[in-house]
Amino acid sequence: MIKTPKLAASLLLALAATSASAADLVIGEIHPITGPAAFYGLPESQAIKAAADEINTSGGVKVGGTSYQIVIKTADDQASPTVGVAALRKLLGEGAKFIIGPIASGVAPALKPIIESRPDVVQLIDGSIADGLTNGKTIFRNQASVQAYNDALTRLTKARAYPTVAVMTDRFHAGFMGSQKSLVDTLESQGNKVVAQEYHKLNDTDFSAQLTKITSMKPSALVLRGYPAEGALITKTARQLGYQGQVIWEFVSPPSTVLKNISTAEMEGVLNAIPPTSQDYVALGNEKALKLETRLKKMFNAEIGELSTLSYDAVYIFKAAIEKAGTLESAAVAKAFTQLKTTDVPMAINPYAPGADGLLFTDGQVSLPGGVQIWKGNGWQPLADLKPN
Amino acid sequence: MLTMLPQQLVNGLTLGSTYALIALGLTLVFGVLLIPNFAHGELYMLGAFSTYALVGAGVNFWLAVVIATLIVIAIGVVLDRVVFQPLEHSSSLSLMIAALAASIILQQGATIAWGSEPRTTPTPIPGVLRMAGFSIAYFQIFIIGVTLAAWGGVWLVLNRSRLGLAIRAVAQNRGAAQLMGIELRDVRIATFAIGALLGGLGGAILSANFPVYPTMGINPVLKAFVVLVLGGIGNLWGAILGGLLLGIVEVMVAGYISSQLQDVGTFLILVLVLLLRPQGLFGRVVLER
Repeated sequence: MIKTPKLAASLLLALAATSASAADLVIGEIHPITGPAAFYGLPESQAIKAAADEINTSGGVKVGGTSYQIVIKTADDQASPTVGVAALRKLLGEGAKFIIGPIASGVAPALKPIIESRPDVVQLIDGSIADGLTNGKTIFRNQASVQAYNDALTRLTKARAYPTVAVMTDRFHAGFMGSQKSLVDTLESQGNKVVAQEYHKLNDTDFSAQLTKITSMKPSALVLRGYPAEGALITKTARQLGYQGQVIWEFVSPPSTVLKNISTAEMEGVLNAIPPTSQDYVALGNEKALKLETRLKKMFNAEIGELSTLSYDAVYIFKAAIEKAGTLESAAVAKAFTQLKTTDVPMAINPYAPGADGLLFTDGQVSLPGGVQIWKGNGWQPLADLKPN
Repeated sequence: MLTMLPQQLVNGLTLGSTYALIALGLTLVFGVLLIPNFAHGELYMLGAFSTYALVGAGVNFWLAVVIATLIVIAIGVVLDRVVFQPLEHSSSLSLMIAALAASIILQQGATIAWGSEPRTTPTPIPGVLRMAGFSIAYFQIFIIGVTLAAWGGVWLVLNRSRLGLAIRAVAQNRGAAQLMGIELRDVRIATFAIGALLGGLGGAILSANFPVYPTMGINPVLKAFVVLVLGGIGNLWGAILGGLLLGIVEVMVAGYISSQLQDVGTFLILVLVLLLRPQGLFGRVVLER
């Protein structure tokens, strides 16, 4: 029992002082924590928490004279647009004004109108590659665009001078379908004749009809655009049907997921044309990536995911923007995003190419150079002669 | 174009045999017990997951198939006892809703147990048979063989055993069968067990051919219902022929028209059959009295 009013007042003051020093900065994150794309989403979520923990232990986000501790609120979109919309509404209801995510190219377009109707919300997309997602005002992206993926692919097909190419695309992947025509035009213009364009969808199990057609045309390269489980099955089926050309994937494919669906022998020599992944940075001995890998192991006993460094960077980009704005007010933070330079985010792992005047974002989009990986043994390795620009 | 035809026909037969294998159990349960068992896809999924888990634990693939099938039979019998038997005298709508609920519960259970990431059991019979006009994996030949053997086995049980006689009697006239002293409860358990056996066996075998994940049963069971309509509900031979026909139609549409229209072809043929021959291509018209 509190005996005197004086003591009660002291306790209240102490409580108030404690609250002020432990001010919270809420960042919401939307990723597929469960569902068919959880192998992408869970490592992203863990990397965000690792970055927040790192920032909090080193003093937090400094605004004016106050140090803010980052509090991460997680929402699971299950890679489904319907669930994603509900997840975003939940985060907004919990007071999150700063949002990281999503990854699924089906979810991101569903969230866009909600974000745009709320000028007090700033979103940084760390996964989806679909076109038309950023607005350069309140929606930004530190993942490469689908164009960067296509650039990596067309650089490879040009360098290898494949005379003929067949393309097999997931017809429900908004990013890949939206860029299909421009990819085909680029391939044709640089001398890679596109002899077949076939389609499949997520969770398909039989691709024999399309691959029989493709195999009969004997293309020098078969480009697969979709997801790893289908990619593995298509690669297996293509070989069974006698396809002997080069198989090229164009999607993020964690080796752990790949190897659950295809043997190492069947994967040997398959190429993947995408911007470098977190595992590439680890393989290349990037110190910050290695540090993140260690932290993830310690915090979650988890391996680094293919997109973990993007999610990690996203938290540091928010920190830099908020500190640059000098306030938590959303409009000022959004404006700071447009003024951020690549040098303002020294902790970023990915080598974002500076735009005009060294800016990090151009129309809300970063520039990430593309690269090529080759499957050797148990995983992907950066291809020496086609490293990022 | 025609040079691809032998290969596309083989592709169609291979795909169709997987549809037929899944449809066999479904048609039996639907034909005898009049239960639209949407959870049959989850029995198939549980067969696949059990095999994957057992093989992962070091059990030989063929032994894993046997154990997984037995596990699924047990789950199937429990499923009937807990979900469908209490609704025995309810409307078909109630049964359908119960089947969908069971399907979702089993999917969620599998997600909790194994996660949602797709995985495939290593193929126990590697290699490809390459002929002049086509090639086919040895394991796919095995799947076609299993489908035919499953059909043969069920046919033998139904036509050459007392249990089969009882099942056929119940399917034809439940009341009359009961008057003849047939124990409906035993027939029900046996029918569900055989249906679960076929679903579990299908999943166990196909886990080495297709990715395994909690919702893997949804598409096959939808296709199996199409097969039922094509072949005639309760008609075993119809399930086989309907499955093969559906596989060939899908492959021909994807191979010769457009891979974007593969599913359209499936459901177009369904609508055509419903319009022109609602009892199914191989079914008989039944008068309701």
